[in-house]
Amino acid sequence: MVSAIKSIVTYTILVVWLAAVVMPLVWVITNSLRSSQEIFRNPFGAPWLITGSPYVDEPTVPAPVQAVKENYQKAWVESHFSRYFANSVLVTTASLIGVLVLSAMASYALARFEFRGNRAIFLYFLSGLMIPAQLVLVPLFFQFTYLSRAGSWLLRPLGFELQLHDSFFGLIVIYIALSLPFTILVLTGFFKSLPGTLREAGIMDGCSEYGVFWFIMLPLSRPGLVTAAILNFLGIWNEYLFALVLINTPDKKTLPLGLASVSMQAQYRTDWGLMFAGFVIVMVPTLLVHLVLQRQLTRGITVGALKG
Amino acid sequence: MKMRKEQQVFVVSFLAPAFFLYTAFVAFPSVRALLYSLQKWDGLSIPEWVGLRNFYDLFGDSDLFVAALQHNLILMAFGGCFTLLLSLFFAALLHRRVRGATLFRVTFFFPNVISSVAISLLWVLLYSTTDFGVINGCLELIQRALVSANGHLSAWGLPQLPVIPFDLPFPFAGTKYLIYSIVPMIIWMSTGFYMVLFLAAMENIPETFYEAATLDGATEFRKFWHITLPLIREVLTVGLVFLVIGCLKLFDAVWIMENQWPQKESHVLATVLYQKVFTEYNVGYGSAVAVLLFVLVFLSTLLTLRLSRKEAIEY
Repeated sequence: MVSAIKSIVTYTILVVWLAAVVMPLVWVITNSLRSSQEIFRNPFGAPWLITGSPYVDEPTVPAPVQAVKENYQKAWVESHFSRYFANSVLVTTASLIGVLVLSAMASYALARFEFRGNRAIFLYFLSGLMIPAQLVLVPLFFQFTYLSRAGSWLLRPLGFELQLHDSFFGLIVIYIALSLPFTILVLTGFFKSLPGTLREAGIMDGCSEYGVFWFIMLPLSRPGLVTAAILNFLGIWNEYLFALVLINTPDKKTLPLGLASVSMQAQYRTDWGLMFAGFVIVMVPTLLVHLVLQRQLTRGITVGALKG
Repeated sequence: MKMRKEQQVFVVSFLAPAFFLYTAFVAFPSVRALLYSLQKWDGLSIPEWVGLRNFYDLFGDSDLFVAALQHNLILMAFGGCFTLLLSLFFAALLHRRVRGATLFRVTFFFPNVISSVAISLLWVLLYSTTDFGVINGCLELIQRALVSANGHLSAWGLPQLPVIPFDLPFPFAGTKYLIYSIVPMIIWMSTGFYMVLFLAAMENIPETFYEAATLDGATEFRKFWHITLPLIREVLTVGLVFLVIGCLKLFDAVWIMENQWPQKESHVLATVLYQKVFTEYNVGYGSAVAVLLFVLVFLSTLLTLRLSRKEAIEY
């Protein structure tokens, strides 16, 4: 009897929080399936897509299916979410590849080779975990100006210009650099846990050090790489501050920037359907990654926290 | 052990790219920020060395910085504490092998993976004073119920119930109350993360400890207090550090909810930094804020770690 009451109380508490977390998200999704007129009449009603529209005869009220199409089309095409999405995919993918490759190389060298200064270099990388991004924001902004000038001067004979301000390249470089400390922490721990005899066996069979890394160690470290990739993906995909400071051209905005400006315009024009569709477009990729890879994500959080 | 020449080349070639990038874009700018904070500079002309003048200005010139710092501390005190307690509570509930634990674990984590820009925009709507404002709507329902109940109670000559002491709809997301309104948002979005963190630590505790305690007739609460809590102490500390750092660095929520123009009543450290540097071109002042932000992060990390190192329990 006591245990029955206990479990009822437990479930009540858990379900209340579950509702608090899920209901706003469900609200966003259902409203993205409704026309602005529909939302205006009742912001919390069920979509007419399911219940059927009570205004079938009124030509000014769009049919439910039409409304859904219109919201997403307006968001994706007219409000350039397709562009922002592509930009975010490009920036995130390039940053992820960059940070994983560089961190894997550095971590492997730090984890598997003994040399003077090994510990010092590892700690040097780790000290980055304590540096808030805001500290490097301002100097980087000005540093980019003269780095661009110097780089352009060097590359001009080849016909290139180096632009770090208002460019994906600048953003990617920053994201890679800022993600290095955490990724190196996770991957060094991972490489240390792999058996060292594998390397010796590879060398015996005539593999070079590079070959051992590429053909033996890298494939074995895939779980670690996946974990690091997910955590970095979530951080970079949602990053706002650096994109806000560095990107000016509307065409180069990433999703968080695009959402902020589109949502402001949409509220001004009371185009609620468009705004909610924009929310959904931003939310869905990270939610999907979380749902599919939640086991690796959980492990990543634990590893990061215990070692950090 | 001495490395062969070939190995030395390998190690250097593998370390160099990350080392270079990290030095150029993290370590070097950090030092630059320190130097900027000692200068008076508008970003264009020749900088002028002013010593600690900027830091003096932070506290003396206007009370903007102090107000912002106070807001960060409010976020930490309320948002941080409640998040910690709530996530610990949920972790303890799920640790007792509840059915459907995975469902709760995965769902509670949702807000943590969503862009903070989207979450801030969403909460502006939830707090809205228009028809969209769910929170005001719920409060209005409660208020109406309380008032009508009081009507009945006074007819019976019974004492009155307390009613909500402010006019509805209340401008929660208005400048004046923004900082306090961000607190529930912080709790909503970060509880899942810390719950997962603590739950993972709890699952590492050997089951035999609990079995022994059960044989001795310990209650659930005593098991939690005397077994679980001491054994996850290290992870608890890490969680505390994360929370403190997160509250110190908060930018997106204030920036978005204030339409990119925070006032003195709503500023936090990061938004002061941004506004000083990028709209008022006062690089030195902004950098001084950044340096103090770093010092605060550094000190609180060090302090929390020092406090927890004392009695780590091995098992």
